[in-house]
Amino acid sequence: MTAASLVVNEIKGYHRFIKFLILLVAVAAVASMARFVFGLGPTTNLNDTYPWGLWISFDVVTAVPLAAGAFTLGAIVHCFHIKKLEPLVRPAIVTGFLGYSLVCIGLLLDLGQPHKGWHVMRYWNLHSPMFEVSMCVMAYTTVLLLEFLSPVTEKFGWYLPMRVLRWLEMPLVILAAAISTLHQSSLGTFFLIAVDKLHNLWYNPLLPLLFWVSAICSGMCIIIVEATACHKWMGQPNEGVLLRTLAKTLPWTLALYIALRVYSLLVLSNGPFFDQPVLTLLFGLELGFGFILPFFMFTQQSVRNDDRRRVIAALLVVFGLILNRFNVSMFGMMDPNQIYYPSLIESLVTIGIIAAHILFFVLIAKYFPIFEHHPETVDYSLPDRFRKIDGGKGSEETVPVVGQPVAETND
Amino acid sequence: MSKVDTSKQKAFLIDMTKCTGCRGCQVACKQWNQLEAEKTEFFSGEGYQNPPAMSEYTFTRIKFRDYQKNGQNEFAFYKEMCMHCEDPACASVCPVGAFEKTAEGPVVYKADRCIGCRFCMIACPFGVPKYEWSKGLPLVKKCTGCYERVVEGLQPACATACPTAITYGNRDEMIKIAEERLAKHPDKYIHKVYGKEEAGGTSVIYLTSLPFDELGFKPVTLRPLPGYTWQALRMVPAAFLTVGGGLSALSWITHRKDRLKKEREEEAATAGEPKEDK
Repeated sequence: MTAASLVVNEIKGYHRFIKFLILLVAVAAVASMARFVFGLGPTTNLNDTYPWGLWISFDVVTAVPLAAGAFTLGAIVHCFHIKKLEPLVRPAIVTGFLGYSLVCIGLLLDLGQPHKGWHVMRYWNLHSPMFEVSMCVMAYTTVLLLEFLSPVTEKFGWYLPMRVLRWLEMPLVILAAAISTLHQSSLGTFFLIAVDKLHNLWYNPLLPLLFWVSAICSGMCIIIVEATACHKWMGQPNEGVLLRTLAKTLPWTLALYIALRVYSLLVLSNGPFFDQPVLTLLFGLELGFGFILPFFMFTQQSVRNDDRRRVIAALLVVFGLILNRFNVSMFGMMDPNQIYYPSLIESLVTIGIIAAHILFFVLIAKYFPIFEHHPETVDYSLPDRFRKIDGGKGSEETVPVVGQPVAETND
Repeated sequence: MSKVDTSKQKAFLIDMTKCTGCRGCQVACKQWNQLEAEKTEFFSGEGYQNPPAMSEYTFTRIKFRDYQKNGQNEFAFYKEMCMHCEDPACASVCPVGAFEKTAEGPVVYKADRCIGCRFCMIACPFGVPKYEWSKGLPLVKKCTGCYERVVEGLQPACATACPTAITYGNRDEMIKIAEERLAKHPDKYIHKVYGKEEAGGTSVIYLTSLPFDELGFKPVTLRPLPGYTWQALRMVPAAFLTVGGGLSALSWITHRKDRLKKEREEEAATAGEPKEDK
């Protein structure tokens, strides 16, 4: 059999849903070609009134906080040293890596001069939030790639790079958190320049801080959603016990977000607030259903301990975050006389990007050891006994302390 | 952004009460910048103005507003163009620094740097930068302030063409003339020099007889816009060091605690062993 027919046979064996995702991604690839052939004007609904549309609002401003799980969980597990959550880290890193790679693709499609994208590295403008975000996204995608390479080196048994990567693990985790703090907040800084354009319900000087805190909340909620989905549809073990622990931190972060939000509205913003009924409704939906309701849900032990209700609360936060980013970057700046809505091609590309995320996640999970990273079963001493513990050995290294890595040769 | 020496800066003083609506400025601008004509229809926008808005082909345009004075129909005009801010928002948000406030006054755009992110269009409080929506690899277009003419000692094309309303010269002088006119004819003008303080000061200064908002002037903050983002961005190094340093310290503490615990356990185990031997 040739290599090509091997690949074809492999794909034939996939689930119908995966094939459907491949179709969506292919359609999006064709649609994005159309953007270059026919230009931004004819293929999108963007114009001089709405220079930014769905691609910036979703593919960049929303996708970045949705991929925040990797740095949040990395910090929780490795810095706050809650080691029992470690099995969740690798899927989160894969999600983050895919998320950021797709952000880069979305951004390149949206740029008028994508071939000059590298100019950001040549002509620095330290006063530009866009410069800040571009540099951080590039740096962080690299960090995520290095973190993601761990399971790849394990898969192929490349011992030397694996050893280097494990030695780098802690610096990378800290770097990831620091870089993420910068660009998650700087996405909020984008809209500080939109004085007199962004509606008072969202415009306030705390926007960067609010973006950062809400990114942390949504990052953790995405991990809950993702782990629950992997259990339900990908036959992975139920991580409910771990998610329960993770969910315990959410009332605190959500409370912090709500408090900051109320403070910024009451103290730092100037009215009028409720002059546009549609915006008032969107604001109420976002804050009420997206943050306050899940806050009360997560305070209840019965919700945190129940797989179904926990994931519903997490999905509410994800909804709240998406709506918040759209409110800030799109709805809150809209001119009621000239409404923007995405064109077919814009929508197909964004749907394709979401589909690509799920598709690549499933495929990576299929071929690389991202779910098998349970510390109890991983031997960190390298390279002689790789990954599998010799059950009959009984040395002190293999005595598993529950919830603790066996031995840490890397710190 | 870096402040430039303002003494040399030139500015437009546009007295709308003297504008006759001939639109010679529009034509001169198209000619000098070699901009394509736009296919337009009458009344495609609000009022009599044509084209309906500034665009990639139209850097300046006269807006018409009809109103009644003593039972007579009258026209008021407003010349729309780049305001050439003292501290421009477009220059501060551009990730590659494609905009520059020159010492002569005009804010110039360097097309060879531009990556086409359109942040300048979001940031500009006057809605000036426009995009080449028709192109596959579009760039930004806006009034150049006729920089090439100004450095050669000429006046901008529109100022040269205008028979009545535009005066061009040193900014300080233009403001002085504007204030003198206000003092001389307080009944003729709205008592305000638009552009003296708007967005931190602009190099285009207006006098009108009708309220500014009625003519379509945008209400803008008096604070230079770059300050709004800089107050957050200046904290970036501190945030990086705080989060990085804080988490490093935290990890060191938690890992040390873990190691000590393990050592104690090992000690307890080795201390226990000899007893068992006896």
